[in-house]
Amino acid sequence: MPGRAPRVTKTEAIVLRYRRLGEADRIVTLLTPHRGKVDVVAKGVLRSRSRLAGHLEPLTLLEVVLAHGRSMDVVTQAQAVESFGPIHNDLDRLSAAMYFLELADRLTVEHAEAEAVYRLLHVALTRLARGDGQQVVSRTFELGLLEATGFRPELTVCLGCGQPVGADRASWSAVEGGVYCAACAAKRDDVFVIDPTVLRVLRAYQSQPYEEAGRIRLSDDLAARLEGVMHSVMHAVAERELRSARFVSASRRARVLAEAYEAEQGDEANEAGEVEASAEV
Amino acid sequence: MDDGFDPQLGGSPIARLVDAFHRLPGIGPKSAQRLAYYILRAPEQEARDLAEALIEVKQSVVLCSRCQNVTDRDPCRVCADTSRDRTVICVVEEPLDVVAIDRTGGFRGLYHVLHGVISPSDGVGPEDLKINELLARIRDFDQDVAEVIVATNPNLEGEATSMYLARLLRPLGLKVTRLARGLPAGADLEYADDVTLGRAMEFRQEA
Repeated sequence: MPGRAPRVTKTEAIVLRYRRLGEADRIVTLLTPHRGKVDVVAKGVLRSRSRLAGHLEPLTLLEVVLAHGRSMDVVTQAQAVESFGPIHNDLDRLSAAMYFLELADRLTVEHAEAEAVYRLLHVALTRLARGDGQQVVSRTFELGLLEATGFRPELTVCLGCGQPVGADRASWSAVEGGVYCAACAAKRDDVFVIDPTVLRVLRAYQSQPYEEAGRIRLSDDLAARLEGVMHSVMHAVAERELRSARFVSASRRARVLAEAYEAEQGDEANEAGEVEASAEV
Repeated sequence: MDDGFDPQLGGSPIARLVDAFHRLPGIGPKSAQRLAYYILRAPEQEARDLAEALIEVKQSVVLCSRCQNVTDRDPCRVCADTSRDRTVICVVEEPLDVVAIDRTGGFRGLYHVLHGVISPSDGVGPEDLKINELLARIRDFDQDVAEVIVATNPNLEGEATSMYLARLLRPLGLKVTRLARGLPAGADLEYADDVTLGRAMEFRQEA
């Protein structure tokens, strides 16, 4: 439009995902602190000499200048502020980050204020990048998201009768998002008995400050069970299958297999060493 | 999708042809019309050749049972070529990536096409890719393989896919590598993103 200065806004944003638009453009989904989730057009980013391309990858926090377009805003400048580098070098952290991005995407709607979700996502990615435990970061992010979006799970009192429930005989409903006492659970068919240790850890994650929660030591097996319970809650809240959650679990299973193999190799090497040592004697 | 088309043509054979071209990637309504009218004026044999080529590609092209690339014979020419280095497999996302890498002439090993990349936001998980086929061929056919080069795109999905493959392949005693990442030809340092510039610095070469 000649003669009229384009209206532009500058904002901080985290790239959630993108999809292709035509030959060389992309529609990029951004999460911003003040304008919520927005779809914007990034022109020419599929060309190898694009000045925007590297800055508009998912899992990047950036400063972006948007020109108001007719249906969608257009990216005119983008500068990555934080690319959470260490996450990119580790499959467990990367799969967790992909899960965080999908959760943030699913639990927000376009153009609706989502500052709390933005802050939670930023904090969780920062913690992952600096090497905090993947379990505590993931579970506290999930609990924080649920709280921010009005789905805070009830972990201490029965959703049926309101009485406190002991961890040792609590039942759990992922759809209702909380615990039931034995008497109330008997009247329902969507509940199962929750592992007492899993429930205790979740209570600690929900009630204690992050630093305290991070000191809880988890075995691989307990971590897997904890993950299963929380994934089912997020699945129920998002009302659809979260593919990234399945990828987190697949990556963890592959790691357990790879570690078992390495341990086996180590044992074989040790045995071989022992044989050699005894031969020398 | 008939916006932009002549309303007089609605439902006619020409409209059908224009619509068919319009559905192809990268073809807008104007190009679709141009192509349709070109075919209309061209000799009948040309139209027949095109139609036959279209049918043939759908009927005779299959996936190679080893590398999963598109081919008209199984195993494909690359897998059947005994002069190629059978100790190294280059894993790519799409058939066109095989064309791109082979064009460089710098790689003489075997390929494996995943037909996609792990991308949860598009609903694609590891089970939707030709990963089991890769593990099976290494176990059953290509036992001489010592190295797997993962040549997925240098983005989030490509990184996730390459690390996931590495986790599955290393326990088989294979060396797993991935393509180097740095500045593209003709790039401008000032506009390079941090990750790319950082890697370019990390993997610098003696001048």
